[in-house]
Amino acid sequence: MSSAVPMLEVKGLAKRFPPRSGQAESPWILADLSFHVADQEFLTMVGPSGAGKSTLLNIIAQVDGANEGKIFFRGELIETANGSALHPGWNCQFGYVTQDDNLLPWRTMIDNVTLPLKLQGRFDAAARKRVDELLHATHLTGFERYYPHELSGGMRKRASLIRTLAYDPPIILMDEPFSAVDAQTRTQLQQDLLRLWNLGRKTIVFVTHDIAEAIALGDRVLVLSKSPAKIVADHRIDIKRPRDLGNLYKLEGFGDIFESVRRDLQ
Amino acid sequence: MTLAATGPWSGVYTKRSLVPVGRLAVGIALIVVWQLGTNTMGREWLPSPLDTLARIWQLAASGELARDTLVTFGEAAAGLILGGAAGAVLPFILRLSPRLMTALDPLISAAFGMPKLALAPLFILWFGIGITTKVVFVASIVFFLLFYNGLAGILSIDPRLVAMLRVAGASEWVITREIVWNTTKPFLFSGLKIALPRALSGAVVGEFIAADAGLGWYIQNARSLNDTTGVLAGAVIVTVLVMVVNAILQRVQARSLAWRPIARDMTV
Repeated sequence: MSSAVPMLEVKGLAKRFPPRSGQAESPWILADLSFHVADQEFLTMVGPSGAGKSTLLNIIAQVDGANEGKIFFRGELIETANGSALHPGWNCQFGYVTQDDNLLPWRTMIDNVTLPLKLQGRFDAAARKRVDELLHATHLTGFERYYPHELSGGMRKRASLIRTLAYDPPIILMDEPFSAVDAQTRTQLQQDLLRLWNLGRKTIVFVTHDIAEAIALGDRVLVLSKSPAKIVADHRIDIKRPRDLGNLYKLEGFGDIFESVRRDLQ
Repeated sequence: MTLAATGPWSGVYTKRSLVPVGRLAVGIALIVVWQLGTNTMGREWLPSPLDTLARIWQLAASGELARDTLVTFGEAAAGLILGGAAGAVLPFILRLSPRLMTALDPLISAAFGMPKLALAPLFILWFGIGITTKVVFVASIVFFLLFYNGLAGILSIDPRLVAMLRVAGASEWVITREIVWNTTKPFLFSGLKIALPRALSGAVVGEFIAADAGLGWYIQNARSLNDTTGVLAGAVIVTVLVMVVNAILQRVQARSLAWRPIARDMTV
């Protein structure tokens, strides 16, 4: 496979939900949306609330269908609008970390983390070791037997993050995963994510409404317009890694990029 | 271990030791009121607690208690298993076909609304006066209790959990086993909690109508002999039976739903 083929390519995606009763047509959420992500790239997308960011990730993860457009994974067409049945996760090639942690409340933390591996029949010695490393890296060691309701919000977030990392899908979609935690925990989680990403580089599509977060994490920031969402700008972030997220404004070039992304958003 | 042990809930554990004392006090108060009732109404109208207890003792000694309890319990259990299983499984099937659910909904509501007691003569005609009639009668009551509770559970499934598990590679069978079953289980327990006493009282009422053994038959027999002590003794035995079965259910439920934060302190 040549390196010219992007890991993920989205072409002319359009989406609107079925009209509600008494309404002729519902508005377009996405219209003619196109972008691509390179292998091992950390792509962030920033857009105003209600821009259809979650809808976009739902369509890529094949939890939801599109009205128009195509999606290619390593050059292979995986989604044609109004086409055949959906294949959520495209045979475990796409991981999806959502806004809510979505841990199963009746399963202990460790059971939640290892469940995808068990479902895929891949919970072998190597996977066990990998899970142990991830637990350690996210300071969850010792809490394996706790139920989700016994863990703090930040711990639940980390558990839901490593649940996806543990089964190692080539692409991970993230939908504002840190929006529901306090600022301090959030910085910690972002730092954790970057460290984990550095350990084994994945292709990540990370969606947020927070400009600083988008710049701090990404190799590239796409700016989405208000709904119907379109890409209005594409910024390459050349800030050196590893980045100290505790002092964002001291990072070289951060302020300038922040200003231009902010202008693009308006 | 858990956060509750040191959190604001720690007080609950000390206060909980007062619960058995309170229960005992209420129990004694009820027996006193009962005795006062006997004193004012006369023993013919309301047999005293002691007379009732003496009758139960006598029944136990003669072996009648064991025989009649076993018959009634057997009918209730068989009806509960048959009707309960059917009522619990149907919602899982209907989840897979919304169209079938819409089609069956008015039929099931109508069948639920039909008074089962009014059908008793037909049941006797079809199944005779033996155990079968009572089992069918109990099953026809219990079925709906588990069906509607199970359906409420199915409708409360979090679609986000389903989507998450699908993305992680789960088949429809895994979704059913992991999410549908675990979400619905507490609802089925609530249904069972209502269904258990209904099953026992259903068996007793069935025996009122036609039987040659069982606690209901004993009560009916005592009634025809103007034996108020016998009627009351029978009612007390049924009540105790319901309490014992409920206590067992509570144990099973607490163990099976241990993951829930409230499971140990409150059971609905």
